[in-house]
Amino acid sequence: MDKLRNYVKELLESGEITGFLGLIDDGGHPIPHLFTKEHIDRLNDLVVPDFRYPMTDILLKIVRKYPESTIGVMVRGCDDRALIELAKNQKIMSDLIRPVGVACSKEMAESCRCSQPYPREIHYGEKVEGVQDRSDLEEVESMDLSGRLDYWMGQFSKCIKCYGCRNICSMCFCDQCTLEDETLVMTGQTPPEIPIFHLIRAFHMAGRCIDCGLCEEACPAHIPLRSLYRKVREDMANYLGYVTGKDEYEKDPLEFLGSEGYEVPSKIDET
Amino acid sequence: MTNSVPEFEDADCILITGSNTTSSHPLIASRVMKAKEKGAKIIVIDPRKNHIASLADIHVKQNLGSDVAWINGLMHIILKEGWQNQTFIDERTEGFEDLKKAVEAYTPEKAEEISGIPKETLREIAELYAKSEKSSIIYCMGITQHITGTDNVKSLANLAMLTGQIGRPSTGVNPLRGQNNVQGSTDMAAIPNKYPGYQDVTNDEIREKFEKAWGGPLSPKVGLTVVEMINAIEEGKLKGLYILGENPMISDPDSTHVEKALDDVEFLVVQDIFLTETAKKADVVLPGASFAEKDGTYTGTDRRVQKIRKAIDPLGEAKPDWEILCLVGKALGGKGFDFQSPREVFDELAELTPIYHGIDYDRIEKEIIHWPCREKDDPGSPYLHKDGFARGKGLFTPIEYKPPAELPDDEYPYQLTTGRLPFHYHTGTMTRVSPSLTHEINEAYIELHPQDAKALGVKHGERVRVSSRRGAIEVKVLVTSGIKQGVAFIPFHFAEAAANRLTNSAALDPIAKIPEYKVCAIKIEKINGREG
Amino acid sequence: MEYQTVRTTCTYCGTGCGVLLEVLDGEVVGTLPQKDHPINEGKLCIKGWSAHEFIYADGRLTKPLVRKGDKLEEASWDEALDFVAKRLLELKKKNGPDSLGCFSSAKCTNEENYLLQKIFRAVIGTNNVDHCARL
Repeated sequence: MDKLRNYVKELLESGEITGFLGLIDDGGHPIPHLFTKEHIDRLNDLVVPDFRYPMTDILLKIVRKYPESTIGVMVRGCDDRALIELAKNQKIMSDLIRPVGVACSKEMAESCRCSQPYPREIHYGEKVEGVQDRSDLEEVESMDLSGRLDYWMGQFSKCIKCYGCRNICSMCFCDQCTLEDETLVMTGQTPPEIPIFHLIRAFHMAGRCIDCGLCEEACPAHIPLRSLYRKVREDMANYLGYVTGKDEYEKDPLEFLGSEGYEVPSKIDET
Repeated sequence: MTNSVPEFEDADCILITGSNTTSSHPLIASRVMKAKEKGAKIIVIDPRKNHIASLADIHVKQNLGSDVAWINGLMHIILKEGWQNQTFIDERTEGFEDLKKAVEAYTPEKAEEISGIPKETLREIAELYAKSEKSSIIYCMGITQHITGTDNVKSLANLAMLTGQIGRPSTGVNPLRGQNNVQGSTDMAAIPNKYPGYQDVTNDEIREKFEKAWGGPLSPKVGLTVVEMINAIEEGKLKGLYILGENPMISDPDSTHVEKALDDVEFLVVQDIFLTETAKKADVVLPGASFAEKDGTYTGTDRRVQKIRKAIDPLGEAKPDWEILCLVGKALGGKGFDFQSPREVFDELAELTPIYHGIDYDRIEKEIIHWPCREKDDPGSPYLHKDGFARGKGLFTPIEYKPPAELPDDEYPYQLTTGRLPFHYHTGTMTRVSPSLTHEINEAYIELHPQDAKALGVKHGERVRVSSRRGAIEVKVLVTSGIKQGVAFIPFHFAEAAANRLTNSAALDPIAKIPEYKVCAIKIEKINGREG
Repeated sequence: MEYQTVRTTCTYCGTGCGVLLEVLDGEVVGTLPQKDHPINEGKLCIKGWSAHEFIYADGRLTKPLVRKGDKLEEASWDEALDFVAKRLLELKKKNGPDSLGCFSSAKCTNEENYLLQKIFRAVIGTNNVDHCARL
C-alpha cells in the first residue's frame, strides 16, 4: 500500500498530474476523493477496498470542468476498459489521463465473475486469471422463447425507474438520454413502460458496455441487468467480431454513421 | 418499526397494508423483492393495485376504512383453525380471553361483507401469515390516516401477538415513517404530551428532572396538536405560531380552513429553506439550511440514529437551523442555548433521554445503533420486544369495527383516498424544483376505475372538477382498472390542485388525532368544452 | 481543482439511505449511493439519486424577511430576531404562554427538534409543540 501511496505522491509532487481520483478512508468507509498536492498528507488515508465506485464516471465530471489538466485515476480492469471506450468516444484524451492500475483479488474477480480482473498496467495487487462464467446466460438460453419473454417481462415489471443503471454507468455519457424521450417512454409511471425502457437501454449498450456490472449492483429491484447487456456484448463479439474495452484503436462497427455524421434526408419517402 | 430494515429480506411472509412501498419507501420495497426472490410470500391488502401489489403473490382490495373488520376476520379464522401460537400467548401476553370474545362475531362471512375481501382469500392469508415461520407486517399511512387509525394499529398488534410473529428477527409490526426524521422529531418530543424520549409532561418526577436541567418551571398541562392549534386560532385562543420547516398550507387536511387560520393568527414565524405557500403568510421568515449545509442526526424508520454532514456552506446569509434556534432562544432571554455545534446539543439531549443515553457522535461514526440504547456499552436494539414488551406482558385490545366518518351519499357518491408518487415528496417544495423529478410528472391527476369513468362520461386525459363538502379542485383523469370501483385516488403533492382541499379535517382519530386523509366523500363532474 | 464526496443521509423518506454528496470546487454536483451502507447497499431510488437537485433551486431563501404592510421585505438577522422575540414576548405577556405554539419539523435534525421544543417548553412555558407525524 505504501508503494502505491508513494507512487501517487510522486506523480502529484512532480506536477505530472494535478489531481488523483481514488478512494479515501472516511471513518472506516472508503469514499471517492480527489487527492491533490495541497493536501498531500491525505494520501495516508488512500485505500483500495473490496468494492467499487464508478471511478471513470466521476472522472468525466472532473474532466468536463478541467479539460486541459492531467488527472490520475485509480483503475481496476473494468475501469481501464471504460477508459479505452471513453477515449474512443472522445470523452477523454488518453494523454491527459494517468491510470494507476489495481489488480483485483481472486475473491473479487470471482464475485464479479470478471473475465479480465486487471488493468493494462498494474501498480497494486497481484494479477489473477479471469473467470469465464456464462451460467447466467445459459440459464436463460435454456428456456424456450415464451419462457424467456415471461422471464424478462417479470424482471422488468419490478423496475422502480430509479435510473440507477444509467446514472452509475461510465458509458452513459450522452448529453441527451433516450430513456427520457417522452415519445418513446411514457413518463411518470412505475414500472416504466415495459419492455421498451429496458430494451432501449440494452440496445444502447451494444458496442458500449464494458461488463463491469455496476448497473446490477445499483439496481434496487435486483434485475439481472448485467446478463442482458452481457448477451448484447457477446452478440457483438460473435457476429461482428468486436469486443469493447480491448483496443483503443479498433473501430466500433456500430459507428456506421462515420465521423462526419449522418445527413438527414430533406424529404422522407412516405410510400 | 419493531424490526430493522435489512431483516425484511429474511422473512417468509410479508403482509403489506396501506403502504405504496415502491413509491414511498423504494429501498424497503427492494428488500421485499429480495425476500420474494428467496421464496417469501408477499400479501398486499390495498384499495389500489399499486406497484408493490402487482408484484405480490396475493393482492386484494379492501373497502376504504374496513381494516379492523378484515384483521378481526383473520384472527377469527386463526382461532377457529387453531393456528394461534398458544405458547407465546400464555407466556408473553394478557387479555387473550377478551380478544377471543371480541373476534368471535367476525366470521369470514361478516368480514367479507364489511371489507369486500372474499372469505376464501381471508382464509388463505390467515394461514400464510400464521403458519409461516417468520411473518412481518408492513404498514403506512393507509392504516393510520383514519378515524380508527389507533384501532387499526392495535388490531395489527393483536394479530402479531396472537401468532407470535413479534419479538424475533424478520417478524414484527413495522410502520414505515414517511419523512426522513419523523421518527427523530417524535423521539425529541415535537409532540404535545411528552418530553424527549417519551417521558410524560404530566409526570411530576420527570417534569422536575427537566425543570432542573433547563433551569425553570415547566407547564404540567398537555399541549395542543397541529390540527387543534389550527382550530385554537379560529377560536381566538392561539395568537402566535412558529413553524419550522413545514408547509401546513398543503400538507394539512382542509386547506381552506388552514389558510384562514394562518391569515388570522396574530403573529406567524416561518423558518424554512423556500418561500412556501405557508411562508408567504408569515410576519417573519428565517432562512434555514438544507441537509447539505449542516451537521446533525436523523433517526430513521427503524430507530437507527445516523449522521448528516455538512458538504457546503449555507447559501447567502442563510444559517443552519440549529444555529437559528439557539439565536431565537437567546433573543427570548432563554438560558442554555450557548451551543457551539450540533454535537453539543446531542450530548445534552442524550443526557436527558434514556433511550438515547448510550448514543454519542463518536459511536455513530463507527457503529450502527438503533434506540433504545441506554448505556455506552449497550449495542442498541435492531428489534424490539425480544424478551418482553415495554409494559411487561403484551396486552390484547379487543377492537370493534367502526365505519369511516364520511360515507358516500347521493350528493357525494364517490370515495377519495390520497397518497404519494414515486417521483415526488410530500408537498413538493423540494421535488418540484428538481428537474429529474419534474421531468417524470409535474401535474396532479385523479385515478378512476373504467366503469366509473364510463358512468361519468369522461375519458383518459380529460379534466374533471372534484369537490367535497370542503372545497373543489380541477384535475386530469387517469383511467385504470387498478383502483377499486367507486374509489378515486389523487396524489397530494401539487399545490395548484391540492388533494387536501377536499380531505376531512373534522374527522380525527380520538387518540392519535390523525386526520382521516384516506377516506372522504366526493363528487366528480366533467368539465365541458375543455380538454387536458 | 477540488473534488470530494461527503457521506451523509438522504433527506427524503424515513428509510435512511446512505448517500454521498459529490462536491466539485465547493459546489454540490451530484449524489451517489453509499456502497457500504447497511440499508441501501449502493442502491437508491429516483429521489435519492436527485437529492442534490433542489439545493440551488431558484427561490431558496438567502436573507431573513420581515413583513412591512402587505409585503415581506429583506431584513438583517438582528432586526428579524429582535422582532420575533419582541412579538412573542408581548403575546405571552398579554395572553399567557398557552396562546403560543409551534410546529416542529420532521425534515429537521434531532438536535433542531430538541432545541425548538426546549424554546417553547422552557422559555415560553407551553407544551403546544407538535409536528406533522400524523400528516
